[in-house]
Amino acid sequence: MASTANVGLAARPARAVGGQADVVAIRVAIIALLVVVWELASASGLFYRDVVPSLLAIGTALVKVLANPEFYHHLGVTLLEVGAALAIGGTLGLLVGFALGGSRFLSQAFEHYLYYLGPTPKIIFFPIMIMWFGVGPASKVAMGTLSCFFPIVLSVASGMRQIDPVLIRVGRSFKASRWQTAIKIHLPAMRAPILNGVRLGLGVAIIGTLLAETKLSNVGVGYLIMQAYSVFDMPRMYAMLIVLFTLAIGANALVGRLAGPAAARRS
Amino acid sequence: MAQQDATRLTRLAAAPTERVLEIDNLAKQFDTPEGPLKAVDDVSFAVRRGEFLSVIGPSGCGKSTVFNIIGGLQAEFEGRVTIQGQPISGPHKSIGMVFQEESTFPWRTVLDNVCFPLEIAGMAKAKRHDKARHFIALVGLAGFENRYPAELSGGMRQRVAIARTLASEPTILLMDEPFASLDEQTRLLLGDKVLQIQQQLSQTTLLITHNITEAVQLSDRILVMTFRPGRVKRIVEIDLPRPRTSEIVSSTAFGRYVAEIWGDLREEATRGMQESEASARGGKG
Amino acid sequence: MATQHSTQSSWAAALFGFAVLVAATCVVEWMLRLGLLNRYIVPLPSEVMLSLPRIVIEEKIAGAFATTFLECFYAMLLVTVVGILTGILLYRFTALRAATETWVAAAASAPIVLAYPLFLVVFGRTMTTIVMIGFIAGLPPVILKTLEGLAGTRRVLVDVGRSLKLGAWQMFAKILLPAALPTVFVGLRLGLIFCLINIVGVEFLINYGGLGQVINDRAERYDLAGTYAAIGFVILTSVLFFIVTERIERWLRPQT
Repeated sequence: MASTANVGLAARPARAVGGQADVVAIRVAIIALLVVVWELASASGLFYRDVVPSLLAIGTALVKVLANPEFYHHLGVTLLEVGAALAIGGTLGLLVGFALGGSRFLSQAFEHYLYYLGPTPKIIFFPIMIMWFGVGPASKVAMGTLSCFFPIVLSVASGMRQIDPVLIRVGRSFKASRWQTAIKIHLPAMRAPILNGVRLGLGVAIIGTLLAETKLSNVGVGYLIMQAYSVFDMPRMYAMLIVLFTLAIGANALVGRLAGPAAARRS
Repeated sequence: MAQQDATRLTRLAAAPTERVLEIDNLAKQFDTPEGPLKAVDDVSFAVRRGEFLSVIGPSGCGKSTVFNIIGGLQAEFEGRVTIQGQPISGPHKSIGMVFQEESTFPWRTVLDNVCFPLEIAGMAKAKRHDKARHFIALVGLAGFENRYPAELSGGMRQRVAIARTLASEPTILLMDEPFASLDEQTRLLLGDKVLQIQQQLSQTTLLITHNITEAVQLSDRILVMTFRPGRVKRIVEIDLPRPRTSEIVSSTAFGRYVAEIWGDLREEATRGMQESEASARGGKG
Repeated sequence: MATQHSTQSSWAAALFGFAVLVAATCVVEWMLRLGLLNRYIVPLPSEVMLSLPRIVIEEKIAGAFATTFLECFYAMLLVTVVGILTGILLYRFTALRAATETWVAAAASAPIVLAYPLFLVVFGRTMTTIVMIGFIAGLPPVILKTLEGLAGTRRVLVDVGRSLKLGAWQMFAKILLPAALPTVFVGLRLGLIFCLINIVGVEFLINYGGLGQVINDRAERYDLAGTYAAIGFVILTSVLFFIVTERIERWLRPQT
């Protein structure tokens, strides 16, 4: 069963002939080539003005953005929204995941609904979220929560089923209560799938929250991007996108590290 | 039976010592992170036309290394390997290899699998289909031509692999523990099949194995290897009558040969075990 | 006996689950009619279902379907060609692969769709924007799975080829590619799913295109029941799509 995010690195990661130096050389060459092509496109006048701004212009804009205290207000709001979405969606996902993973009956009754709903574009629920939660940050948090609930609940449920049953029997043989079994056996045994689910959840929570911000908001990084778009301040939009993507990829990598190198390879 | 015996004796008399494969002072050293590891050291032997020679040894004696070198998959080694007088450089067309692991192509039918070497050689479709069917029948899988490997048992898949190699009509059949993944009874029965085929085709065969019963059941001669670095410890002539079947396992002569070889192997196997315990304790790399 | 029992109990569970959903819908309907829930926020489920035929006709759903699937088709065409070729290239040139593999994996997890305003600027509010976003979203899984399929070919199969002295092209065409095909299909399916999700999402966001736009349309007309119906419709389509592709994949790979 291929989950929508089971795209990891190839079975045997490549080791370059000639070693690390070759890798670095190729990376530098690729980056250099991209820079040259970009600057040429920018200076060529082939594109409508500023659609491809020079890297210098983007860099300047980036510095201006980062130096502007107002930016951090927006960034803070976005981070809070994503954080809240992950907290709520994560907790719900954990609880429901435990329920589904622990009971064969409940799993067979409800899990396939969640499984098939998973790979749907959640952003289309946004009009409903606005009706229910208003146009403020709450609807963005709701969007993010809805997005991240699914990967987390599915990871937790399947993670529970993958626990070696002999470990549970050990707990029973020592007369551990249900609560003790959950905390002392299930949770530690499921560290990898839970963290993996959180990593996926973080990714889609960011997407859900930010897309909502771009659609309808007056605060947040998504709002800033649309604002730059509406006044056609392209260097600023590029700068915002750079900040956004750096944060997204960085957060993903961070959680990936927490999950351990083996789980990171399984994505 | 007697007639086949006579035919064989006549053949041997005509070319009693034609050596199709000669190994001279074969040695191989690997560079591991723990330092250089000598897998095989000064191995010399020859395989005569039409004979069944088994190479037996404990785990870690370098038998698979020998298999890969003779098969041309391992290009760096010391010593010489000659096939019918020619030194090898890479996989030689006179050698057919049967591997230990599952090697049938899952996306091809049994017939297409066995046709594979003929396809590579550029044989016409009708001709190669005919030939393939002949060898499929030889291994006892007639009727399964249009099945996929996934539909067959492990033993049947290995038979397909053997048929595929035989279809290329190699001078020397080189097999690396082809029955390792099968249970004992299937092994004995497949051993019967192999004996039958080998006798019918007078196929020169070199079998790498760790199974003493199998070696004695199938071979004319058995080469016992020492533990790493692998050397030739002894060559045993198996003087059991041909043609043979798996019923031979109950004869006293059989039992004596097995005991003899086990005596040699046991020493080597014990050394192997002691060494792995020492390295686990952190003594040696 | 045990399997028969477990199939029966799984049917019972499935029935139970469905019954719970139906019951929940009925409860919502009842609560709305009683005024316990605000009818301006949540429409009557019965109204939602009744508005479906209206939506289908008014919104020319068939046309919307066609548009979305056309966009997907173009995007997947690009994804297949570029993705598989890139995967093969990366497999062939190990140095290139070692240098870029982590980048591609990072790109697979990067929220490309967040850059849609940029695409809007570059390509305008046209089908090209949507196809481009679908293409970039669906590309990384195809590259990675093609690479994984080729690199993960079982060693013994490669050895069979080597023992028969196959040339590089023969080795590729007769062994590596057929061995990799199942994994490549998994990648194509993942790419298709990422592609569709992003395309429908972007259609909604920029209010242009097929199914995604239908939802926007309904929402902007304050057609509450219609909005819910449209969303439900798109979700149903997406789910069906997912199920069908899963069945096809299982049919192609019986050993999974």
